[in-house]
Amino acid sequence: MSLVLENVSKKFGNKIAVKNLSLTLDKPGVYGLLGTNGAGKTTTIRMLLGILKKDEGSITWNNKEVERKAVNFGYLPEERGVYPKTVIRRQLLYFAILKGMKKKAAEKAIIHWAKILKVSEYLDMPAEKLSKGNQQKIQFMSAIIHDPQLIVLDEPFSGLDPVNTEIIKNVIIDLVKKGKYIIMSAHQMVTIEEFCSDILILNKGKTVLQGNLKEIKNTYKANRVEIDVNQDIKKIIKELNLEIEIEKNNQYKIKIDDEKKAYKLLERVVKENIAVTKFEIEKPTLNDIFIEKVGE
Amino acid sequence: MKDIGIVSKFTFMEMIRRKSFIVSTIIIMLLIIIGFNVPNIINMVSKESNISESSKILISDQENVFEGKLDALDTKELGYSLKIKDSSFAQIKKEIESSKIAAGIIIEKEDNEITFRYVVNDTMAMMPQDLEKELESLYTNLQIEKLELNSDEIKMLTPTFNTKVEQTATIKGNILVITLLSIVLFYAIYFCAYQVSSSITTEKTSKIMETLVTSTSPRNIVLGKTIGIGLGGLMQMLILVLTAILSAKLFLNSEMLKMVLTSTQVSPLNIFLIIVFFILGYYLFALIYALCGSTVSKPEDIQAANMPVAIITIAGFYLSELIISTPVGPLTTFATLCPFSSPFAMPSRIMMGLATGKEVLISLIILIVAIFLVAHIAIKIYSNAILNYGSRMTIKDLIKMYKAK
Repeated sequence: MSLVLENVSKKFGNKIAVKNLSLTLDKPGVYGLLGTNGAGKTTTIRMLLGILKKDEGSITWNNKEVERKAVNFGYLPEERGVYPKTVIRRQLLYFAILKGMKKKAAEKAIIHWAKILKVSEYLDMPAEKLSKGNQQKIQFMSAIIHDPQLIVLDEPFSGLDPVNTEIIKNVIIDLVKKGKYIIMSAHQMVTIEEFCSDILILNKGKTVLQGNLKEIKNTYKANRVEIDVNQDIKKIIKELNLEIEIEKNNQYKIKIDDEKKAYKLLERVVKENIAVTKFEIEKPTLNDIFIEKVGE
Repeated sequence: MKDIGIVSKFTFMEMIRRKSFIVSTIIIMLLIIIGFNVPNIINMVSKESNISESSKILISDQENVFEGKLDALDTKELGYSLKIKDSSFAQIKKEIESSKIAAGIIIEKEDNEITFRYVVNDTMAMMPQDLEKELESLYTNLQIEKLELNSDEIKMLTPTFNTKVEQTATIKGNILVITLLSIVLFYAIYFCAYQVSSSITTEKTSKIMETLVTSTSPRNIVLGKTIGIGLGGLMQMLILVLTAILSAKLFLNSEMLKMVLTSTQVSPLNIFLIIVFFILGYYLFALIYALCGSTVSKPEDIQAANMPVAIITIAGFYLSELIISTPVGPLTTFATLCPFSSPFAMPSRIMMGLATGKEVLISLIILIVAIFLVAHIAIKIYSNAILNYGSRMTIKDLIKMYKAK
């Protein structure tokens, strides 16, 4: 199974929404789609779901061109929405049947997922009585209830509290274990780093970075050292011409342009008989890379 | 096709489960029941007023205009208890205030003008017409008697005059019933179609559209939704019609029921044609409203977006009302052929017994072609407009969306 987008482009009037976008998802896992607001993520997602026609290029799933009629992917849109006055069970059943499930199987799946997502007690309530977080879990449920092979999650964690975030995270991990193909768009880079093996960064419709996240990071030199000590070392840092990024309770994050400078700092600190409880040379985070690529 | 069924079933079930639907149906049912009881209520009220009047009406003829023959009135079965007594205004007033009489009539004559002064407590009260007529005819007879004419001569002097309006086109149905039918059709079509628009806007504003549109095609959503709401509307209509039939049987007396039935062109074919025009009319307006609903992102914009369609619907309805008063003419032909007015106009014409088979067929064909045309445009624009969350769209935007791939 594979999802392949080749040179996909879309224009709205004279405005380029997406230009020559290509990506391949040929093994189960989570693929990160990143970009600032208006970069073209939602347009890309809508095109690969078949709800928006592309101007150029091809989108294939299992070597077959993606068409709206044939698409049965799971989709959690960024714009959350439920029927406010309709009982949860009925709306989940409606979407499951629309996605081709039999009524009995759908009812069974609703009970199964409600238990996992901890929303069983809300199934017979109208959606408007649920908190935003629970409404979001309901929508997540409707995206995966029909057991799709490809799932598109647009900002799956936005607005969720830590407990609910953990619940959804565990479900996503399980889905990957079951061999599902997931495309995830998110603004929290930590989330993307946690889940995605491959990423694509869009800026104003153009692909500015793409590939395996580990390999991308390896091309970057270390840019930061984290050091926790038992006393003030600002004087030493100043002497070595280094710049403090963050400092709190003798825990320092210091910018470096060369790993050697980090070792020099460690050497000086040890020489001064200052106890070091943590020393870590860090490569740029995805957040750093993202800002470098799309920051004005 | 399967998805259209799923969407329409869900829409239908959601519609009939809604409190507003249940409450409005019950209110209209009650209004119908009350409506059919109006003759009974009027009867009751008029009976009550008869009783109060029978408590006595005093007639005072101090000027002796009736030459002491007023007693002749008493023998007539007027339903009033009459008291003939010469009294002044002040005396009558006193008797009314002490509830001895309900009203008084003072007869006065000046030259050739006779005045009945009706004295009563109630400011809204009118002198009973039957009593007035009786007094007039008694006076006329008194004068005729003086001429010593035979009965034939008297008959010639007082003929009965009747007025009968006859139009060049023969109308079979009862105009009141036909007007009522077109009003009911208008409201049923208008409100059902309007609901399509608000239902689509709700889906758009609650952002459920994103999920829905990945579950089935926009074409299926539009068609399923319009069918679902149409079925809900049809069900409501059937409930109300059944309530009306039952109420008619239960509350109308047999003579009145017979009169309504014979004056209405109720034949199975006519009923079938009226239902066909209702369904097609609803469908035409529902599709236009679906288009309107898809162009707005905020519920507060829906009124403005629907306004042009509301004007077309109301214009179509008034055009159909016009043809009831003018059954023949170029405007009538236009109203029965124009798809925006034919769903209201043609059923009226059928009920009036004026529509020929050919006219009905042409009107139906034009309506069906219009529905296909509107469906094509509405689905195309809807498909592109539903995922657009910007400000309200202009006509230019809509044309662009229609042309878009």
